[in-house]
Amino acid sequence: MAHFQSPMPSREFLWGVFQRVDRDRSGYINADELQSALSNGTWSPFNPETVRLMIGMFDRQNKGQVNFEDFGALWKYVTDWQNCFRSFDRDSSGNIDKHELRTALTTFGYRLSEHLIDTLMRKFDRHGHGTILFDDFIQCCIVLYTLTSSFRQYDTDQDGIITIHYEQFLSMVFSLKV
Amino acid sequence: MFPGPGGGYGGYQAGGFGGQPGGYGGTPGGGYSGHGGQPGCYAGYGQPGVNPDIQQWFSTVDRDRSGKINSNELKAALVNAQGKNFSDTACQLMIGMFDRDKSGTIDVNEFQQLYTYINQWLNVFRTYDRDQSGHIEEAELNNALQQMGFRFSPDFVRFLIHKSDMDNHRQMSVDQFIVVCVQIQRFTEAFRQRDTDRKGVITLGFEDFLSVALSCSI
Repeated sequence: MAHFQSPMPSREFLWGVFQRVDRDRSGYINADELQSALSNGTWSPFNPETVRLMIGMFDRQNKGQVNFEDFGALWKYVTDWQNCFRSFDRDSSGNIDKHELRTALTTFGYRLSEHLIDTLMRKFDRHGHGTILFDDFIQCCIVLYTLTSSFRQYDTDQDGIITIHYEQFLSMVFSLKV
Repeated sequence: MFPGPGGGYGGYQAGGFGGQPGGYGGTPGGGYSGHGGQPGCYAGYGQPGVNPDIQQWFSTVDRDRSGKINSNELKAALVNAQGKNFSDTACQLMIGMFDRDKSGTIDVNEFQQLYTYINQWLNVFRTYDRDQSGHIEEAELNNALQQMGFRFSPDFVRFLIHKSDMDNHRQMSVDQFIVVCVQIQRFTEAFRQRDTDRKGVITLGFEDFLSVALSCSI
């Protein structure tokens, strides 16, 4: 996402946002708090799975929630995604069609077959309109990223082929969600 | 550690996943009956195919009276022993299993199958929740998976619990248990298809891996 990076907001700004999002004042933001925060403002309601995935990416203590230190990175991440999404949503329709998805994934460095793009569309087009919404687009990209990373761990010679045991395989696919 | 006699993965019985999906040893109904549908299951009742009690349940769950139930309506109706609603993942999984036209909703006939399916899982869960705590702990999960024909290393069982219980990493609720078991079945089946010589090891290309992970996950 190098193209879409925004400058890191100031600590004061982030602290203000964090305090508003952390409704129960626990010092941590959980998935529910993040979801309601993202539902406000200009964003349409986020699907809970995307929220959980995003928490998972920045939750360094593996608690299912993020503290203020991790929150800055998360906030920037969402903003960058927004820029990214807008740049691929050429017609400003608020969603991404198959062609736009292919362009986006190519830009990210993926070279995927037509078959796989179709699989992704089927999975993340939640409303059956042939398009993907912002939150589902983020989810799609995170899922791809997560799977690619876990594949790479085993693909030490980088030939795109891995040989794995049963439990290793299960651990890889379970990296998505339980 | 991986292949046991009979060519199963980590010792699951050969044939358990073949003609009879699921194959939970010793549990009534076999757990997995929803996939193929069971037409005529309640053929003895008034309305063809639909049990009146289930019709009533359906109307209660179908809050917006659309004649269809989506995963949010299902979620609102299902509560686990911890007093929490079932997870979004669990509800999407279960709707997805019975939603044949991929509309994201199920009708009353599909609901009937789902109803049976959930009750079977509740029974399975109760069977393995030995201390009746309302959740499944590591030893109980290990036992449950073994009874289902899986034999995993203690590390992997711990990994499953750890992934499910974000708060304490100690236990699983019934909805988490269902999700984990169904996922294990699906992924095991995908693995088995590729492990043609039954060695418990497969060679997998990147796109095939993505394809399996995307199509078997919820």
